[in-house]
Amino acid sequence: MDELVQRLPFLCVIGTLVASFCMPVLARWKKELCAPLATLVSGSVFIVSIFIAHYVMQGNIIRYGVSGWAPPWGIEIVVDPITSLMIMLLSGICFLICIYSFAAIKHELERIVTGWYYAAYLLCMAGMIGLVISNDVFNMYVFIEVTGISAVALVASKGTREATEAALKYLLLATIGSGFILFGIGFIYMITGNLNITFIAQELDPVKGNYPFLIWTAISFLVVGFGVKSAFFPLHLWLPDAHSSAPSPSSAVLSALVVKVYIIAFMKILFIAFGLEIFHETFIRHLILVLAVIAMLAGSFFAFVQIELKRRLAYSTVAQIGYIYLGIGLGTPWGLAAGLLHILVHAFMKTCLFLCAGAIYYQTGRKKVNDFSGMGYKMPITMGAFTIAAFSMVGIPLFGGFISKYGLALGSLEADLPILILVIILSGLLNATYYFPIIGQAYFTQEDHAVHHTDGGHSEPKKFQRDQIPLSMLVPIIILALGIIYLGIFPGTVLNFINQTVAMLL
Amino acid sequence: MHDYVTRVVFRYMLLFVLLYGLYVIMHGHLSPGGGFSGGMIIGLGLLLYILIFGELWNDSFRQTILDSAIIFVGIGGIMEIIKFIVPYEHGPIGVTGTLFSVGIMSVANFGIGVLVASTILGIYFMISEEA
Amino acid sequence: MDLQLFLLNFPYFVAIILFSMGTLIVLTQPNLIKKVIGINILQSAIFLFYIIVGDIHGGIPPIYDPNLPDALYINPLPSCLMLTGIVVGFSVTAFALALIVKLYIYYGTISSPNFMKMK
Repeated sequence: MDELVQRLPFLCVIGTLVASFCMPVLARWKKELCAPLATLVSGSVFIVSIFIAHYVMQGNIIRYGVSGWAPPWGIEIVVDPITSLMIMLLSGICFLICIYSFAAIKHELERIVTGWYYAAYLLCMAGMIGLVISNDVFNMYVFIEVTGISAVALVASKGTREATEAALKYLLLATIGSGFILFGIGFIYMITGNLNITFIAQELDPVKGNYPFLIWTAISFLVVGFGVKSAFFPLHLWLPDAHSSAPSPSSAVLSALVVKVYIIAFMKILFIAFGLEIFHETFIRHLILVLAVIAMLAGSFFAFVQIELKRRLAYSTVAQIGYIYLGIGLGTPWGLAAGLLHILVHAFMKTCLFLCAGAIYYQTGRKKVNDFSGMGYKMPITMGAFTIAAFSMVGIPLFGGFISKYGLALGSLEADLPILILVIILSGLLNATYYFPIIGQAYFTQEDHAVHHTDGGHSEPKKFQRDQIPLSMLVPIIILALGIIYLGIFPGTVLNFINQTVAMLL
Repeated sequence: MHDYVTRVVFRYMLLFVLLYGLYVIMHGHLSPGGGFSGGMIIGLGLLLYILIFGELWNDSFRQTILDSAIIFVGIGGIMEIIKFIVPYEHGPIGVTGTLFSVGIMSVANFGIGVLVASTILGIYFMISEEA
Repeated sequence: MDLQLFLLNFPYFVAIILFSMGTLIVLTQPNLIKKVIGINILQSAIFLFYIIVGDIHGGIPPIYDPNLPDALYINPLPSCLMLTGIVVGFSVTAFALALIVKLYIYYGTISSPNFMKMK
């Protein structure tokens, strides 16, 4: 039994990879089968991940050497609580987006690319799961490239002029980023002669006094590389174009999951391989804190001036990445836990928002934020979910975003930096300034042509209509909205996972 | 390309290029080389053949090439999955200097070679169809 | 600077210079093909760096020879890692070229300063 569970995480990755490579062949034979098969695969990975999480929560940590080679020579897979939580999150969100894609992909993409789209989608999912479970830095690099290239393919799948241009920009910048990461890994290998994170930590501990500059250089390269990959503020240039021009399901995956798994990998290298002492001594913490604060404010300001809804959501992602890095930079138990919780909460919120934007585009064809008057009555369920996600993004109590922001505030008190609470509140207010006008317009204004019809007489009473979108698009949105409320009211289940990890890291 | 010299020289060179590619593939576990390098040599040789002699193969051949790339990846993945079901230790270590002493490794190298060669040709076909 | 130290670590300097050159070319050249060449230079710099890391002065290629039981072999691991790096570089180049072909169909040019601008 134990033997079987030990192998399950790797089986998730390999199974998804094989399914991904089946897709193009299947698409040539029968295009309709691609979407159900992808849903089946991601759903079964989700079920397996629940099983893994149940096993890990009983106090076991899965350590498995691939192909029977022991850790220092072979590739090792380690699943600790946060990793099992991340596998569950990745496969769960991917599963929901797959259900959503049934109708959305037919609407937004050409029929001929369906097979390739699902191939890239499953490849991206396999890469992300592999990245979080791997305990070997070079293997991490390989999965970073798998995730990166398939994410570019997801952007480029739309085939329009803007999407192709954004995809090329994303590809070039992401390749520079992974080049930096590879250089950093090379420096780590120079110092320690190991690629396994656990062994790097053991080797680095006695000799870290001898190579101060080399360690500093390695960390700098890694910060720049992972910063480009995860759109950390001054390095976020590829994100808005790529996320706004991709089809809605892929923007949801990119924004909610792809940028986050890099942060998890970076955190693993920073806290486990280098250790807390180096983290505090090399001033890397101060750099991350300052950039995170700038990201939180500047991302919100940039989002405020955007007219197109998906661009606004993309810039909002830049700000939220700042929150997560703030949690890492604080380096206190509450701060780190809140940063990790924000990864989860933001995945729910941003997926929900992007899927709502896609649903609105599906029914009405509108993309601009000032076209949304009366939308709350035309699509009440979609706009309701949008409102819940936006409230959570602002940080209103009872919604998931409040818990993580509250945790960040507690963390900044623990770290003796109370000024950061001001920044968190200010950034929350900025979030409100660009989400509330959309909601207000959707519920409290009349549509223009409706007013014209009445010739200045009495305005027609507004009536709720049922959303004219397929059930397969509606169900994921509702589940995500309920998930946000669940996280806001009962955060204990998730915090249990996170606190175990934090106790291990700090 | 209608250059007489290239056509005549390459007509005789192609066999040697392919043979050298096969050599590199089969000796992958003994000396520097292996499926990737050998497959690259074979793929580039075939690519040069197409560039010099024009498009000699029809559309269905291109599709076969793409499919063979995908199918070989699939076979590799299925072999990986079988490892989970059957309790599996790594194969024989092999004897120095003996060609067929590493069990499945030679077959796997050959598969990788076919995969890489067909990937190169597939990428060339896809890009040239777009332009 | 100590000349001997400089000469001993000369390949590292070359790797860093090539890496910076590649990054600069990718970020500043308006021509898209040149950008892809910049990516290739950047990746070659990394391959060079890894191969120097694995080098041991006076070592021989790591192919086991029964006649030399205690020979000094170089470290083969970084070279093996770079095999993966080469595959990644190859696929990135192919993908970038495919995207450039598509952009050429849309715009009719591959050299414009507007391609990489923030919008």
